[in-house]
Amino acid sequence: MNRFLRASIFLVPAFVMAGCAPATMNVSSHVDRAADFKAFQTYTWGPADALPTGDPRLDKNPLFKDQFQGAVEKQLALKGLTQVTTGKPDLLIHYHANISERLDVTGIDRPYGSCVGENCQAEVNLYEAGTIVLDIVDAKTNKLIWRGWAQGAAKTMLDNPDEMTRQINKAVPQMVAQFPKAF
Amino acid sequence: MFAPTLKIRLLGTALVAAALAGCATMTVRSYSEKGATFPHYETYMWGPADELTTGDPRLDNNPFFHERVRADVEKTLAAKGFKKVMAAPADLIVHYHASFRDRIDVNGVDREYGYCEDVDSCRPYVSEAGTLTIDLVDAKAKRLAWRGWAEGTVNGVIENQEYMEKKIDDAVTKIGENIPRR
Repeated sequence: MNRFLRASIFLVPAFVMAGCAPATMNVSSHVDRAADFKAFQTYTWGPADALPTGDPRLDKNPLFKDQFQGAVEKQLALKGLTQVTTGKPDLLIHYHANISERLDVTGIDRPYGSCVGENCQAEVNLYEAGTIVLDIVDAKTNKLIWRGWAQGAAKTMLDNPDEMTRQINKAVPQMVAQFPKAF
Repeated sequence: MFAPTLKIRLLGTALVAAALAGCATMTVRSYSEKGATFPHYETYMWGPADELTTGDPRLDNNPFFHERVRADVEKTLAAKGFKKVMAAPADLIVHYHASFRDRIDVNGVDREYGYCEDVDSCRPYVSEAGTLTIDLVDAKAKRLAWRGWAEGTVNGVIENQEYMEKKIDDAVTKIGENIPRR
């Protein structure tokens, strides 16, 4: 019996299917604590990221690019940063979108707080995790001073443009809110 | 028997307390190449940066992560008496590689009594596993002289910069303790 159990567990990754995925969005950031954020006033978009996204639906996807950049520009404006297209901006902005497979175990409903035999079963799901990473670089030193990201299940987003818009509009304000620009 | 179903069911299993505790610890190991002459190594330089992805887009090209690792490795090597040089020749060439992935942990596959007691102990769960490997290569022989690594659960580590830095410090210090003394 135990041998069978072990075997079945090792087989799991090969058989799990995209089912339920976590509904939460994970937003966080890293920062260069030595950088003087008060000094930054202007920014421009840096050259596009050459790394593949890991999903052909997202590679060179203008819908995603326009909506994401638009949402970021709006949030940066709220932070008091001005986008410029000429001259020497203080900041360069890049982003990278990535789709990768991750695992999730669905919760087990166990009304009595204990389980016997069949009730002890749980499901392991493979899902497509989308990560959007926003990098902000000090244009003078060419050093990354801030990186923010949002991570969540991407399946519905990739299949449905309305959902993509909704997810972008949810993720970007949360991400940019972590940028430590003070007025 | 699995093929027709879209969901794979795992049999939940009893908690073996030790197994759960084991998931949270950091495992640190190393090996030395036989014949590597550690007393003779005096200087080191950094090898070319690792081109492999870390497996996590948040850490790829992330200087907050990578600069911390490099600074810690330099500190550790200095404490061991190795001297950093900026260009060849050096006795040792140093590389590191960080790798992250999801892992399923199943609690207590050997369910002693055929049942499990509570929700936490019954369910399998997913954790993020991280591995940091440090390589010291004999520059003359162009052979790995020593490899040390730390492996452990890193749930929530990347999300929290200070926690991440602490984990890196901890891992590098512990890996470094295994470098043969000069």
